[in-house]
Amino acid sequence: MYPLVILHILNTIFESLLPPERRNIFHKQYFKLSGVSGTYVEKNITLDRGTRIELSCRLDNKYSHLKSLQVTWKRGNETVRHINKTETSWSIQLRISDNSKLGSYSCTLKGEEEISAIFHLQVPKIEGKEKPIVSYEGDTAVMICKSFGYTPIAWTWYMTNGSEQIAINDTLLANKYVIHRISANVTHMKILKLTKEDNGVYWCEAAFELGKSKGKLKLKVLSFMVPLKPFLAIVAEVVILVTIIFLYEMYSKKKEKSAEAEKEFDQIEQL
Amino acid sequence: MPPPATTGRAPGPPDGGWGWAVVFGAFISIGFAYAFPKGLAIFFKEIQDFFGTSYSEIAWVSSIMLATTYGAGPISSILVNRYGSRPVVIFGGLLCGIGMVSAAFCTSILQLYICVGFITGFGLALNLQPSVIIIGKYFLKRRPIANGLAMAGSPVMLCTLAPLNQFLFDNFGWRGSFLILGAILLNCCVAGALFRPIGPATASVKTQMAEEGKGALKEEVTEDAMEMSSPTNVPMENKTEEEGGKDCCEKINQYLDFSLFKHRGFLIYLIGNVLMFLGFFAPIVFLAPYAKHIGIDEYSAAFLLSILAIVDMIARPTTGIIANSKWVRPRIQYFFSFSIAFNGTCHLLCPLASGYTGLVVYSIFFGLAFGMVCAMLFETLMDLVGAARFTSAVGLVTIAECCTILLGPPIGGTLIDTFGDYKYMFIKCGAVMVLAGTFLFIMNYYNYRMLAKEEKERKVKEDPKEDPVRTENEGRNNWNKETAQDGPELEPLREEQEGLKKEVNGTNEV
Repeated sequence: MYPLVILHILNTIFESLLPPERRNIFHKQYFKLSGVSGTYVEKNITLDRGTRIELSCRLDNKYSHLKSLQVTWKRGNETVRHINKTETSWSIQLRISDNSKLGSYSCTLKGEEEISAIFHLQVPKIEGKEKPIVSYEGDTAVMICKSFGYTPIAWTWYMTNGSEQIAINDTLLANKYVIHRISANVTHMKILKLTKEDNGVYWCEAAFELGKSKGKLKLKVLSFMVPLKPFLAIVAEVVILVTIIFLYEMYSKKKEKSAEAEKEFDQIEQL
Repeated sequence: MPPPATTGRAPGPPDGGWGWAVVFGAFISIGFAYAFPKGLAIFFKEIQDFFGTSYSEIAWVSSIMLATTYGAGPISSILVNRYGSRPVVIFGGLLCGIGMVSAAFCTSILQLYICVGFITGFGLALNLQPSVIIIGKYFLKRRPIANGLAMAGSPVMLCTLAPLNQFLFDNFGWRGSFLILGAILLNCCVAGALFRPIGPATASVKTQMAEEGKGALKEEVTEDAMEMSSPTNVPMENKTEEEGGKDCCEKINQYLDFSLFKHRGFLIYLIGNVLMFLGFFAPIVFLAPYAKHIGIDEYSAAFLLSILAIVDMIARPTTGIIANSKWVRPRIQYFFSFSIAFNGTCHLLCPLASGYTGLVVYSIFFGLAFGMVCAMLFETLMDLVGAARFTSAVGLVTIAECCTILLGPPIGGTLIDTFGDYKYMFIKCGAVMVLAGTFLFIMNYYNYRMLAKEEKERKVKEDPKEDPVRTENEGRNNWNKETAQDGPELEPLREEQEGLKKEVNGTNEV
């Protein structure tokens, strides 16, 4: 099914210093796509700073004979006007300077069938932690956020209070929160003297030139009673088992001794 | 079991009965000793983040633990020689528990090194050695099976600890997990409680040993007594000058039998094993990274290790049963050398494995070979030196192996980093192990021949009246010889073969 549609989309990112690169894409016959109209390919493009970008949809040389192809470039509902057309490719050039220019751009080839390709232009994603960080009252919790490959301008930490997100000011609450920027791409927040109220969701936000990106972290604060219960249960089990084993041993030794005593008694009688 | 006809003849090992409970205890003890350091790796990432250290600093925790477990072998042997297996294992269990519980309250990486590395590692060392030793005390005829079953504890515990550790970590964080793991390690005390003391300690046995010309040997303690037999009390007929002269040498020999270094079989085993361990553990450490390197995803790579563990689990008792059969038992050293060489060949063929299927096949064969070697690791040593001297032997062997075990993975890692290719590491491990296997094979062939020769000479020399043992072929006298002589057991086993045939036809003790 889908392998039949191999529509590789060419995208070119060029900054003023770098030469553009082009790659060939194949557009597979849509003849075989009967009944599969409305399919599309997607591609995510990560941008952390302002740049010029060229997106193009290109038709493979094999299918250049196909006529009556109409290509439209859209961003959401808006149509992009300025399309550079060649015989087999349709491209648009964009200048991405701020957050408003990011989004999803799609090129739609309308012939007998309709095929789309969508480019998602977005800021780099920040990974938080899926599983909650478990810590204990009075202890310290360390939260780390990393950005892969792209260097943020600044990091901000937020804690969630109900439905609000409140920025954490570490200069104000210096004995509670310590925020470090370990390296360009890594930020580090330590929460000291944990209490039950520190339970909840935290966000680390990385600010890029083109926008902001958030990572989610969860913190669970437990009291020491929580692991203490299984601990005491297991210790009790060990003590009980050891006692049973020793009692059994004493019991079987007594049995042996009385059996031996009987035997000796018999032997003495025989003598 | 027939009661001893003459006084002074020690009853042989029971080969069953309470022995199986001891095997179960050893299963748990050995399982913890081998599997626990590996299972801790799950916590390292979190601890690394918490203390803000680098990965290599965290890896030291594992290394210190492993080094202590193997390096404290002689201390363990000395304590077992003095106090018997049971108190040592119980103390070891307590130590492990205390170590992990105190680790839960650590505030620096140095404290972790001490609590997890040294204290827990030492506790595990006090668990490992006595468990292996006491199997030799309880079993003779069925000893390979008992060894195989007990060593199967390692993969079983690993398979249990890995998901358990993950579960504990998700629910309690690393501190709570360490606390609970400390309690779990206390179960080693339960295993220790099962190790009921057993063993002959008669005067005639001692005089026979003295005739051999070795240093004074410490017999396994009887149930509640702690005997201190000083060297001067035991009549030494053919004492050599070195051992006769200094008091402190005798004292040390009492605790740890250094005269083993003159024992041919022991030296062969030591050299072969020290060589083998250079290439033994590295492939396991690098299997998952290698799989990821050739493009396999993380879960499938982890699954390879699970396959290895499951095959290992089955291979160990099976090897024990095979090694116990009457065809293999007299030539068990050859079987051991073969399994080492087989292991090495697997590694040499690994670079040829392409894709996931190839690696699965490799994991299966590797698990099989690994299990075979581990099942017989201590059995062959017992076979060579006899149960009486095994206590000291195992301590000396583990401290010698300690160095190569610690060196193996880093050397492999250096090879990988230098050449950027995993195949050289596999080739190195495979070559080392094939070499070790071949060495052991040849040297044991030589050893068997020398033993046969010595046996002939002894038969010619000795007056048959003095030693009625030789004229009888019954099992118990062979057991007696087994405990009396600290030479290799091949001779009693050979005579025992006729005895075994009779036993097989008769009723079997369970």
